[in-house]
Amino acid sequence: MIKITDLEKFYRTEEVETIALNKLSIDVKKGEFVAIMGPSGCGKSTLLNILGMLDDPDGGSYMFNSVEVAHFNERKRADLRKHNIGFVFQSFNLIDELTVFENVELPLIYTGVPSSERVKRVEEVLDKMQIMHRRNHYPQQLSGGQQQRVAIARAVVNKPKLILADEPTGNLDSSNGNDVMELLTDLNEHGTTIIMVTHSEHDARYSHRIIRLLDGQTVMENIMI
Amino acid sequence: MFRNYILIAFRNIRRNWSYTFLNILGLTLGIASCLILFLVVRNELTFDNYKKADRIYRVTWNAIDFNSNISLAVAPKMRAEFPELQVSQVMYNREAMVKIHNQRFKEKDFVIADEYLPQIFDFQWISGDPKTALKEPNAIVLTESIAKKYYGNTDPMGQVINVENQFDAKVTGVIKDLPSNRSVPIQLLLSFETIRNQVKENLNNIYDIGGGFFTFMLLPENYPIKNVQARIPGFMHKNWNLNPKEVRFPLQPLKDVHFDQRYINNVVTPTSRDTYYALFGVALLIIITACINFVNLATAQAIKRAKEVGVRKVLGANRKQLIGQFLGETTVLVLISLVLGIVLASVFLSGSEVWFNTKLDPSQLTQPVVMAYIAGIAITVILIAGLYPAFVQSAFQPVDSLKDKGAQFVKGFTLRKGLVITQFAISQVLIVGTIIVANQMDFFENQDLGFNKDAIVSFNIPNQAKMDVLHQQLVNNPGVEQVTFSNGAPSYNNNASGFTAPDFGITKDDVTEVRFVDENYFDLFGLKVLAGQKVTARAQKDTIITVAVNETLIHKLGITDPAKAIGKHIIINGTNVTISGVVQDFQSESKHKLRRSCVLGYNKPRFFMADVKLRAGSITKTIDQINKSWSALFPDNLFEYKFLDDHIASFYIQEQKEYTAFKFFSCIAIIIGCLGLYGLIMFAAAQRTKEVGIRKVLGAPLISIIGMFSKEFVVLILIAFAVAAPLGYWVMNNWLNNYAYHISIGPGIFVVAIAVSFAIAAITIAYQTLKAARVNPVKSLRSE
Repeated sequence: MIKITDLEKFYRTEEVETIALNKLSIDVKKGEFVAIMGPSGCGKSTLLNILGMLDDPDGGSYMFNSVEVAHFNERKRADLRKHNIGFVFQSFNLIDELTVFENVELPLIYTGVPSSERVKRVEEVLDKMQIMHRRNHYPQQLSGGQQQRVAIARAVVNKPKLILADEPTGNLDSSNGNDVMELLTDLNEHGTTIIMVTHSEHDARYSHRIIRLLDGQTVMENIMI
Repeated sequence: MFRNYILIAFRNIRRNWSYTFLNILGLTLGIASCLILFLVVRNELTFDNYKKADRIYRVTWNAIDFNSNISLAVAPKMRAEFPELQVSQVMYNREAMVKIHNQRFKEKDFVIADEYLPQIFDFQWISGDPKTALKEPNAIVLTESIAKKYYGNTDPMGQVINVENQFDAKVTGVIKDLPSNRSVPIQLLLSFETIRNQVKENLNNIYDIGGGFFTFMLLPENYPIKNVQARIPGFMHKNWNLNPKEVRFPLQPLKDVHFDQRYINNVVTPTSRDTYYALFGVALLIIITACINFVNLATAQAIKRAKEVGVRKVLGANRKQLIGQFLGETTVLVLISLVLGIVLASVFLSGSEVWFNTKLDPSQLTQPVVMAYIAGIAITVILIAGLYPAFVQSAFQPVDSLKDKGAQFVKGFTLRKGLVITQFAISQVLIVGTIIVANQMDFFENQDLGFNKDAIVSFNIPNQAKMDVLHQQLVNNPGVEQVTFSNGAPSYNNNASGFTAPDFGITKDDVTEVRFVDENYFDLFGLKVLAGQKVTARAQKDTIITVAVNETLIHKLGITDPAKAIGKHIIINGTNVTISGVVQDFQSESKHKLRRSCVLGYNKPRFFMADVKLRAGSITKTIDQINKSWSALFPDNLFEYKFLDDHIASFYIQEQKEYTAFKFFSCIAIIIGCLGLYGLIMFAAAQRTKEVGIRKVLGAPLISIIGMFSKEFVVLILIAFAVAAPLGYWVMNNWLNNYAYHISIGPGIFVVAIAVSFAIAAITIAYQTLKAARVNPVKSLRSE
């Protein structure tokens, strides 16, 4: 599903050039659950941003479903993103001005799903995430665990083929964190490919494979048994 | 999707109510001002927009200067020699006394006109036949409101009105009230035939030019004016032997009457179109200021909303959709402001007569043109105020905005500075303009008049035979300090007459004002005698007539030393007179015009006006007493008086109107600018909370924190001033050049303008700055 080859990304200031990704090559197959680990500054989030087409690479190739996307313009990237990728962030990134229902509805609005269909699908996914009773609340009225469930609901409502999760349990206690990991595992078992950046060995064990990065390069891959 | 935009717009409004409030208040004031100014300007620029206005001309007189009045002799001859034209003569009277069933009224705008006028000006007739209503003698046409005032719901047709104790006239028609923008305002319209006998002589004398005698003509359709113009010199020569090199009859298009400032003796003082373009410019500046606020506050807030934009982009929103969303939010705010602005404008317009001396009906707001203009304002504001912030906000890169790096991408800060400079510059130009107009108004009415005007009332003497009795009663009144009789106080424009001075080479008629004054005139008005003596009483049969003349006249004679003019002779209307005194020039007309020559002499039968200087303290009581004795002496007349300073102010009604408008709308522009500034400083204070905390922990005193916030604005104000000062100077200097006498623009005005700018900015930012500076540092650091 994803094949990146010799991917490069630099951050430049006037005086210093930092290499975030150094000719990195990774393959992720459809239906896989991959965890990416490594110390701070090793390039995990940069990689995730490029995979999610939120950022451009400076060099190398990125094939998504056998299509070279490394140099897509913003419109094409936005288009590809909204139909194929769901995001889950450590800090949830819910829109404070919208209710739970409206937050989850948003991706469907942007993909042009008709209103009646939207209601059905949002309710379905809220039900699945067991957050239906909070549908009319605003994000700030929810606990962290509940907010992350809303964020996951929003990520999956468009039935994406790939979910990118950036430390999804980072802001949660262990019990809520486990719930979120269960949810992701469940999604993966139903066919969604998941790439997750994490610091937690515990969370990484939910994945099929752990890729460990250091200074923008792969240093080790562990296949989970 | 649209529902979502609107929804989030309303939630944002609720959430950021303080910004919303500043934005809506600014836009509401801006939109209301734009609307009002549009109506004021439209009212002025559409003066005399009669249906046939494009074909209507006024026949005027141009000998030494331009005179809108012309002899009654012209119209009948024109009618005979230019049969293709409709020609009408009009005699305008500022007021007249009418009596209905023994009830007397003083009415303004009393007009005498012939039967041809209704064919030229399309009045709206409620009753009566426009073709015949003014045909017969003793016929009078009333406006609707006058008819209502006299007769209520009774039919006014056929009722009899007594005019000036002279004629009984029958009501033969009622017309709708004229709009306020008419050069010849009309309340009552008496048929010319009624007074034909009285003006028999005027009809034959081309030089007999009365004040308010106008002649209008209507061209046939598609008939070039050149065809008439070409025949005018021949027409003048044939009928009156006039030499076209000395006299011309300029045909003035009706649409220019209100704007041609060469003619000052109009009923409504002509004004410059430029003034109204300038007012329209102020409207634009106001709306630009309001839009700048909007852009500033929106881009400042953009940093706060960067995360939302990032999330939306991650979820698949494309740029177009985001621009749509932000424009949607702007639309909601603009529409709210538009509704409030229209309400505010209509409230204001109902009081427009008090404010601007011009009646502007709020119902005009529902006219299609005005509605189109309102829609235009709305769309323009949405685009100007909304587009830029929408583009800026929608351009955030999701990765950066999610990391709260959005702020770095708001390059708007430099732009915001630019916009704030623009706002300050606009305010400063308006401040400079307002100060200059205020000084010029003061100069008009109070300075360099050449005579005293305080506590002096003028009223007329209807019957010269009772003059001595009146005089006795007035001087016996303890509230009266001085009394003088004349044909008018110095500010009352007087008879003009031809004069020659063969001894000094002036053999062809020049023009001089002639004033008939008694021996107390000079003392009461404080006229300054430069040489010789003031005017003294003289018996009617004296053969040597002595006069006082002003400086302008002796300069015409080529004399610079006033003493050398004493004993010299000039000829006025064929009478040889001797100069016995020279008086310093005084301002007898509006300061639009250069001062003219003036001759003052004693001529008791021509004293029509009394001027009384009142003692301070009991002015109302004294006027009451004068009223009683005057009314007892002249029982058939109504006592009406006017303070001299009010009369002088009346020269400048147009300027006063403009001044009020400029003052008012400049204030609005400045207030809107302050709202924006307040919003920005509020934002800056919030942004720099942490910095303030750290500085305070490190020992910064309160004053240095205040300085930190203020420094930036001081620089911006100075940059703005560098732009505003020369611009203000240039604009206002051009304006002042419209007047023959005007103030000069000194550096003091600019010092005041910049000081006011600093004061306004300081007051605006004081509260937020102090608030930010006084927060406990622990609190501000914790909030990070």
